[in-house]
Amino acid sequence: MQTFLQYTILGLVVGGVYFIAASGLVVTYTTSGIFNFAQGAIAMLAAFTYWQVRWGWGWPAPLALLLVLGVLAPLLGAVLYQVIMKNLRGTSEVTKIIVPVGVMLGFLSLATWIWNPTPRTPRLFYKFFGANATVKIFDVRLTWHEIIAFFLAIVIAGGIAFLFRRTRSGVAMRAVVDDPDLLQLNGGRPERLATLSWAGGAFLAALAGILITPIQGTAMSANALTLLVIDAFAAAMFGRLKSLPRTFVGAIVLGLATNYVIAYFPANKWTWTGAFRSSIPMILLFVVLLVLPQDRLRGATVLRTRERFRMPSLRTAWIAGLVLVVVVWALRTIMATTAINTLAYGITLSIIALSLVLLTGYAGEINLAALSFGAIGTIIVFHYGISGTGNDARMTLWGILLAAVVCAVVGALVALPALRLRGLYLALATMAFGVFVSRMVLTEIGERELFGIKFSIFQGGSLTIPRPEIGPFDFKSNDSFLMLATVVFALMAVGLVSLRHSNYGRRLAAMKDSPAACATLGMSVVRLKLSVFMMSAAIAGVGGVLMSAQLGSVNLDRFDIFLSLVILLLTVVGGIGYASGALFSGVLFGCSILAIQNTLTKLGSDYKSLEAVFGFLVSAVSVMPATIGVTMGKNPSGAITDIVESLEGIKKSKPLMLTMIGLQVLIWALAWQGVINNWHFVIFTAANLLIVPPLGGAVLKNMALKKAGVEPPVPPELIGIDRPFTDDDRLAIEHALGLDAVPLPVSAPVHHQEEAAHAPA
Amino acid sequence: MTIIEPSGNGHEAPRPDGPHAPPPEHTLDEPPLLQLKGIRAAYGPIEVLHGVDLVVPEGSVVALLGPNGAGKSTILKVCSGLLQPSAGEVHLAGRIVNGASADQLARLGVCTIPEGRGIFPNLTVRENLWMATMAGVPLDHVEEVAYARFPRLGERRKQLAGTMSGGEQQMLAMSRALAVNPALLLLDELSMGLAPLVVANLYEIVAQVSEEGVSILVSEQFARTVLGIAQYAAIVLHGNVTREGTPEELEDELSAAYLGS
Ligand SMILES: Nc1ncnc2c1ncn2[C@@H]1O[C@H](COP(=O)(O)OP(=O)(O)OP(=O)(O)O)[C@@H](O)[C@H]1O
Ligand SMILES: [Mg+2]
Repeated sequence: MQTFLQYTILGLVVGGVYFIAASGLVVTYTTSGIFNFAQGAIAMLAAFTYWQVRWGWGWPAPLALLLVLGVLAPLLGAVLYQVIMKNLRGTSEVTKIIVPVGVMLGFLSLATWIWNPTPRTPRLFYKFFGANATVKIFDVRLTWHEIIAFFLAIVIAGGIAFLFRRTRSGVAMRAVVDDPDLLQLNGGRPERLATLSWAGGAFLAALAGILITPIQGTAMSANALTLLVIDAFAAAMFGRLKSLPRTFVGAIVLGLATNYVIAYFPANKWTWTGAFRSSIPMILLFVVLLVLPQDRLRGATVLRTRERFRMPSLRTAWIAGLVLVVVVWALRTIMATTAINTLAYGITLSIIALSLVLLTGYAGEINLAALSFGAIGTIIVFHYGISGTGNDARMTLWGILLAAVVCAVVGALVALPALRLRGLYLALATMAFGVFVSRMVLTEIGERELFGIKFSIFQGGSLTIPRPEIGPFDFKSNDSFLMLATVVFALMAVGLVSLRHSNYGRRLAAMKDSPAACATLGMSVVRLKLSVFMMSAAIAGVGGVLMSAQLGSVNLDRFDIFLSLVILLLTVVGGIGYASGALFSGVLFGCSILAIQNTLTKLGSDYKSLEAVFGFLVSAVSVMPATIGVTMGKNPSGAITDIVESLEGIKKSKPLMLTMIGLQVLIWALAWQGVINNWHFVIFTAANLLIVPPLGGAVLKNMALKKAGVEPPVPPELIGIDRPFTDDDRLAIEHALGLDAVPLPVSAPVHHQEEAAHAPA
Repeated sequence: MTIIEPSGNGHEAPRPDGPHAPPPEHTLDEPPLLQLKGIRAAYGPIEVLHGVDLVVPEGSVVALLGPNGAGKSTILKVCSGLLQPSAGEVHLAGRIVNGASADQLARLGVCTIPEGRGIFPNLTVRENLWMATMAGVPLDHVEEVAYARFPRLGERRKQLAGTMSGGEQQMLAMSRALAVNPALLLLDELSMGLAPLVVANLYEIVAQVSEEGVSILVSEQFARTVLGIAQYAAIVLHGNVTREGTPEELEDELSAAYLGS
C-alpha cells in the first residue's frame, strides 16, 4: 500500500509535468497547424539556460526563473514563429514536419556546443528549495519541488481553459482554427495570435523542462532531456492536439503507467524493466495513434503546395548513374584510405536516404526512423548472414537478401496498423517505432532464453559486421567496397526512377496527391501504401547493412533516432523527390561535414594560437544541417532543383559541357600522377564547377549573338552607363524584384479614413 | 509603381442624409464610397478578373449579378482585402487601399459576410458575437443588437454555431453586420441553401441596414429579390463587368443573359 501510494503520487507529479509540455504542443498546433517537434529541445535549452543562470552564475532562483520563463522562452517562441514557422503556410506536410525537426536538431547541437556534454564536474540541477525540503502526505515523503510541479500543472490546465473560454484572444485563437480568413474579416489578426501562442507554447515547454530535470535526477544530457519531453507527445495525441481535458488525462495515465512499472516490475529478475519503462511513452503513443479516431488534419486540405519536382527521364537516370560510378572510380584512385572510408560511409547513408525518396518523395508518406530498419537489417545479417570467422568472415549475399526481406516484413508490421494514418500521425508512429527499437531492442545485449533457445539480439552492445563477398567478388578491400556501395546506389536510383515512370509509380503519385480520390477511383490504397512502405523499409535495411559493413562494428548510437532525423532533413533539403537528393544527403552528412570538421580540427592543432577559433568553427559546422533545414520553408523543393536548373544551361551547350569534362579529366589526371596534391584537386574542381559555366556561358552566348548579328545584351548593372535607361528597364527591374506583384503598404491617408469611417458610428 | 493621390480632399466619408444615394456621376468632393479601377486578380497563375471597374456610391445598394464562376466572389474578396489585386486600384472613400489587409479594412468599417456561412462553427453563438467586437464595438452592444433582432439567437447563446440550422447561422452572420455599424457592407450569396422565405426575410433586413445609410455591395443568385432593394446593378461575365446601371436599365440584358426568362 505504501509503495502504491508513493508511486501514485510520483506518477501524478510526472504526469503533471507531461501535461505542461503537452499543453504547449496543443496551444501551438491549435493556432498555427504546426506540430512543434522542437518542444522537447526548447525544454532542454531552457533547462540548460536555467542551470547556467542559477548555478553557473549563482543568481537567486526567482530572478533566474523570471529571466528564463518570463523573458527568454516566450521570446524564443515568438522569434521561432516569426522567422521560421510563418513561412510554412502552403507547404506540404513533409516540410511542416521537417522544419520543426530541423529546429530541434539545431537546438540540440547548439546545447552540446555551448554546454560541453562531458564536463569535468557533473552538472547538478537541484530541486526548488533543495532535495531536503520535504513534507509528508499520506505517509509519503514529497519534496516541495514535486508538490509545486503538480499544482502548477493544475493551475496551468485551469489557466489555459480560462484563456480559451473566457478571454477574447483565447477565443480568437480557437477561431483561427475554424477560419483564419473569417477572423481577419472580423478585424482580428491571425498572425499576431499565432506569434502569441508560440510564445506561450515555448513558455510551457521551458517550464516543463525546468520542472522535470531534477525529478528525473540524472546528469543533464541534451539528448536525454529532449527525449524526455518528446515522451509527452503521447499525451498530446491522446487529446488529438485539441482537447485539453483529454490531454490532461493522457498525461496522468502516462505518468502513472511509467511509475507503476518501476514499482511492480521486479527489476533484477526482469532485466528489461528499465528499458520497458522508458519505452512506455512510445508504446502508448503508438497505441493512441492507432486506436483513437482520426481527426481531420488541417495540412491535408492544402491542395496545391509549393513543392514541385520534375522527373528525370530513364535515359538521364542511366547516364547520371554511370557518371556517378565513373567519378567515384576516378576519385578513388587519388584518395587516401581514410577519405575512401568516409566516402563509402556517406554513400551507404545515401542508400538509406533513397528509401526516403521512394517513401516520401514519391508516395508522400513519412518515416522518421529509417535507421531503425538499418539496425534490424544489421541484426539479421549478424545472426544469419555471416560465413567464416575472424579475418575470413564475410557477409553473404543471402544474408543481405534475408535482411531486406525481414525489414520489409517489419516495415509491413509497422505500416499495417498505421495504414489509415497519414502525414503527421504516420510520422509520429514511425518515430515511436524508432525510439522503441533504440530503447528496447538495441538494449537487448545479454543472453536470453525462450522456449529453450538461447539467443541475444544485440550481442554485447556492439556488433561486428564483415564486408560482403558475392560470387567471385570479394569486397573486403576499402576500394572495392566503395565501388560496391556506389554501384548499389546507382542501380537502386535508376531502379527508383524507372519505378516512378511505371504504372505503379504513377499510382503512387496519385496517392500522394489525394488518397481519397484514389480510393474512389477503385485503386487499392491499402495495398499501394503497404507495398511502398515495405519496399522502402527493405532499401533502408540494405543501406543499414552496408553502413554497418563499412564501419566494421556498430553500437546503438549509430542507429539513433536523431541520426535518422538528420538524414531525412538533409534529404528534404537536397530534394526529396530526387535520387540525387539522397546522394546529397548521405554525402553531405557522412563526408562533407565530417571532412570540414576534421580539416578545421587539424588546422586548430597546426596553428595553436588559433585553436579556439577553429574549435568554434568545428562546433558551428555541427549546427549546419539544422540551419539548412530550417530554410526549407522558403525553398521547399530542395537544393537539387536549383542546381539542376543552373545546370540546364550547360546541358544545352555541347561545347561548354565538353570543355568542362575535358578540364576535369585533366585535373584528375594531374592529381592521379601526383603532379598536384589533393588540395589543389579540390580547389581546381570547385573552380571548374563554379566559375567555368557562367564564364563560358556568357562567352558562348555573346559569340552566338554576334554571329546572328544582334548586339549582346548589356548586363543590368551597366544599364544607364553603356546605354540609356528606358522605361522597359524600369519595368523589368520591378518585375524581377517582384514589386509589380507586391501590393504597396497602405499609405498614410488611410488613417484619416479610419477616423472618418468611425466618426458617424 | 506610384501611389496616385486620389482626387478630392477625402478625409471624410460623409453619409448622405437620406437612404437614396447620389447618382454615380459624383462630384469631386464627394467620391463614391467604394470604387474599383481596372482591377485584375488571379489565383496563382490563373487570372480571374480582367480589369473590373465598379462604383458603389454612398449609401446605395449595388447588386453583382452573373452566372456561376463569373468572378463575383472574387470581386468581393478584392474589396474586403482577402485577395490582393495584381493590377488596378481599390478606392475607399477616395483613398487607395491596395495592400491593406482584411483586418485593417475591417477595423476601418468594412464588414464582409463571405460566401457560405460567415460564422465559426466550433465557437458558441456568444463567442461568435465576441469575435465581431474586434472591429471596435463593445460586446454588450453586439449582443443587444443581435438578440433584439433575432430572439432565437438569444435563446441559443451557448450553442455551438455549427450545430444551428442554415437560417440561424445566417442570422448570426447578419447580426455582426448589424452590430458593428459599418461604412461598407459586402455580402456574398446570403441566400445559399436557404428557403425563399428566409431569403426574403434576410433581404428585408439588408434593406433596413441600407436605410440607415450603409453602402452595400451584394452578390446574389436570387436576382429578383436583390433587385427589389438595389439602386444599381452590375453584370459580371467572365471576369469583366459588362454592364452597369439601374435595374430598369438592365432589365433586357438580365432577362437575356442571366435570368434566361
Ligand atoms: N481559391 C481559388 N483558387 C483557384 N481558382 C479559384 C479560387 N476561387 C475561385 N476560383 C475561380 O475563379 C473563378 C471565379 O470564381 P468566383 O468564386 O469569383 O465566381 P462567382 O461568380 O462567385 O461564382 P458563384 O456564383 O458560383 O459563387 C472561377 O472560375 C473559379 O474556378
Ligand atoms: Mg461566389
